[in-house]
Amino acid sequence: MLNAFSQLMAQSGKGLFELTVNPQNESTTPVILCNGDFMAEIPVALGCEFSDLTLTGAMGTALPEGADLIDGGIELGVESRMCNAIKSACYYLESGKIRTPEMIITTNACCDSMDTLANLMNAYEPWAHVPRFIMDAPHTLDEESYAYFGRQLREAVTFFEGVLGRKMDWDRLREVCVESNKQSQLLLEFQELKKAVPCPAEPDLARQGTELSRWIKHRVSPEVTRWLEEVVRLTEQRVKEGKGIDGVDEKVRFLWQDLAGSWSTGTVLARLQKELGAVCVMDYVSYATWTPIDLASEEKMFASFAKRFLLEAAMTRQALHSTDLFIGDILRIVKEFRCDAVIMPAHVGHRDTNSRLKLVRDVCRENGIPCLVLGIDIWDKRFISPDVVFDRMSTFFQQTGLIAS
Amino acid sequence: MSDSIRPAALKALLTAAASLRNPELDAWTSAGGRVIGYYCPFIPEELFLAGGFLPFRMRGTGSTDTDQADAFFDHLNCPFVRHSFDLALRGDYSFLQGLVVGTGCDHLRRIYDNALHAPLEASFVYLLDHPRTMGSEEEGAEPIVRYYREQLSKLKEALENHFGVAVTVPALRAAISLCNETRRLQRRLYDLSVAPAPKVSASERAAVMMAGASMPKERYNALLSEALKELETAPETPGKALARLMIVGPAIEDPAFYEVFEEQGAAIVVDDTCFGARTVQALVDEEAPDPLTALAKYQVVDMPFCPKIGGSHAHRLRFIQEMVARYRVDGVIAQGYVSCDAWGCSYALLREAMQEAGIPYLRVEREYIHSESGQLSTRIQAFLETTGGRG
Ligand code: SF4
Ligand code: SF4
Repeated sequence: MLNAFSQLMAQSGKGLFELTVNPQNESTTPVILCNGDFMAEIPVALGCEFSDLTLTGAMGTALPEGADLIDGGIELGVESRMCNAIKSACYYLESGKIRTPEMIITTNACCDSMDTLANLMNAYEPWAHVPRFIMDAPHTLDEESYAYFGRQLREAVTFFEGVLGRKMDWDRLREVCVESNKQSQLLLEFQELKKAVPCPAEPDLARQGTELSRWIKHRVSPEVTRWLEEVVRLTEQRVKEGKGIDGVDEKVRFLWQDLAGSWSTGTVLARLQKELGAVCVMDYVSYATWTPIDLASEEKMFASFAKRFLLEAAMTRQALHSTDLFIGDILRIVKEFRCDAVIMPAHVGHRDTNSRLKLVRDVCRENGIPCLVLGIDIWDKRFISPDVVFDRMSTFFQQTGLIAS
Repeated sequence: MSDSIRPAALKALLTAAASLRNPELDAWTSAGGRVIGYYCPFIPEELFLAGGFLPFRMRGTGSTDTDQADAFFDHLNCPFVRHSFDLALRGDYSFLQGLVVGTGCDHLRRIYDNALHAPLEASFVYLLDHPRTMGSEEEGAEPIVRYYREQLSKLKEALENHFGVAVTVPALRAAISLCNETRRLQRRLYDLSVAPAPKVSASERAAVMMAGASMPKERYNALLSEALKELETAPETPGKALARLMIVGPAIEDPAFYEVFEEQGAAIVVDDTCFGARTVQALVDEEAPDPLTALAKYQVVDMPFCPKIGGSHAHRLRFIQEMVARYRVDGVIAQGYVSCDAWGCSYALLREAMQEAGIPYLRVEREYIHSESGQLSTRIQAFLETTGGRG
């Protein structure tokens, strides 16, 4: 299961990365570059490639030269403690390593760092000629906000049409949305299955399943749908057989309430489950709350795009919105996934999350949920090494009596 | 002008900024007047004035540490946010009945979340969402003005419902005209720095700007008008500054920071900071049929942009260059807090633009309370040499 996934992921991830970090890329398919996430269905339906500069920077931090990219970012004179994924993205951009896109789209979502990256992209001289469209993501969550952002997404389509010199094929967009809805449904089914004890699937699968459906070159393709179907089928089988993750004697189930980052999954999380039986059953990127895209009318379609973007994209849900929403999610995940503990990675770049830690701790205490705040840099292991994180989590599990000392 | 001959009105304004409370504010609250604290210049004071409230700009004046706020905020959160929130937790803001927070940055927004759960006296806590883009080329700013107008209307309703007040159209018009008068007076205050030897120092100017959002507006306008009359007619100060500087970045509340520059013989003649020169450049349309739309338009279109506004770099640069020309600036100082991501990349952009324009540029990362002058003085000295004494 993991093999099939890894191959698809590696192929797609590489594809996306090569598309972005390659000034010589001569692909004739128009590229839309965003500072962060966007509704993938739209570029896919328009027959465009889409890339995300933040994700590019984040992926860069996982490379052997990751630290140099980060340090290169600092030397540009940006704010010195900014998220390292963004510093890396800034460096890629300013050193001319990014393929010139045909269109730029930026939003203020989901955090200040991504917002300031948008400023850099929009002011980048060599791209002054590239047509661009700038959107405002509201911090409110009501029908009016969805309509406000939905109207901007609709306007973005008109903008793309103008640049491409062709109209959106609305039937194609519906077709893509149907595929996207299928994938969301499969992810939700997979998420349901992951509630089983013992946990039937590796943490990577859930997180990267989400990434596959949103953040990769082959997103919203039938290929990904087929892979997700296979994941659900195999997981279902494991649940029926009462099987947990291969080679893991599950003792502790925990929630990792943030991004997993570029180094933690392959190192810390794998070691924790193998050596301590501590399994990350959910993280805040994998956690999916998606409602289907409403295809009843164009207006409804765009309002549901907006809702997905604002409320249901993982990092946007975390960074752009209220602590009450965030805490409500923690309590729901802990209950539904039968978590024994909450780990708050508290990524140093996450100002929005690090300013709500007391509220999270208080709620966990009131509800009898052990909670550990780490304070790591998810993009730079020079800050706190994987071994230190492992030791701290191990001590925490022992001290809370979740595993024997 | 030496300190002993400073106009009494100016002294009163400086006193008002030196601490959170001031005699004018105390008189207002003793008479039963209500006060609303607010956190960002995007939030229009006019709305509070029209509801009969005194708008008070949140600051950290007098704070010495952030022990209490640090339970809520991480050490990498904005020091201004932590110091001002710390004062609120200690009860120093007990004179507030309400607190309105803007969505300007990630740190600020969490003040709202934390205030909801913290033991604060204010019974009204509100998050005002303001747009962070200039609008698209295709549709212009109209949709964002409309959106912000709706947000202001919701805030108005929330104030009315919570406090049982009516924010009427005539009251809004009166508040707009009162605040425009403040802007005109403050603009004259800035104009004093056009002279070779400015008649007010940067720390005094910043204090006067702060006082404007700390006391009843009518009283402030009267005091400022009186102070300006005396300052404008006073004889020119002899000599001239070693260099005329512009300061860019988040608001500076600690006068000690300006003083380090002044001690080196430099004059900070203008700024592009949150509550500084940006807020006195334009006026709200007093004749507009709908005052809420006029306020929304002022905030998201007419007031020069801060770097949090998407796509605004070229406009911001134009504003900075206009200020450089108008105030004959020799060098630009970009200051800010470590971890203020909202300004994150704009420093790199500014450095590049200043280099291209041949304007000396210095970047200073600072803390909220200015405590370390030695190293900064040395950097300023070196920097002043690069400005070549063009002042
Ligand atoms: S701060 Fe978080 S959301 Fe923002 S770019 Fe970094 S990892 Fe992404
Ligand atoms: S100084 Fe920066 S981080 Fe602090 S409140 Fe202002 S914009 Fe936010």
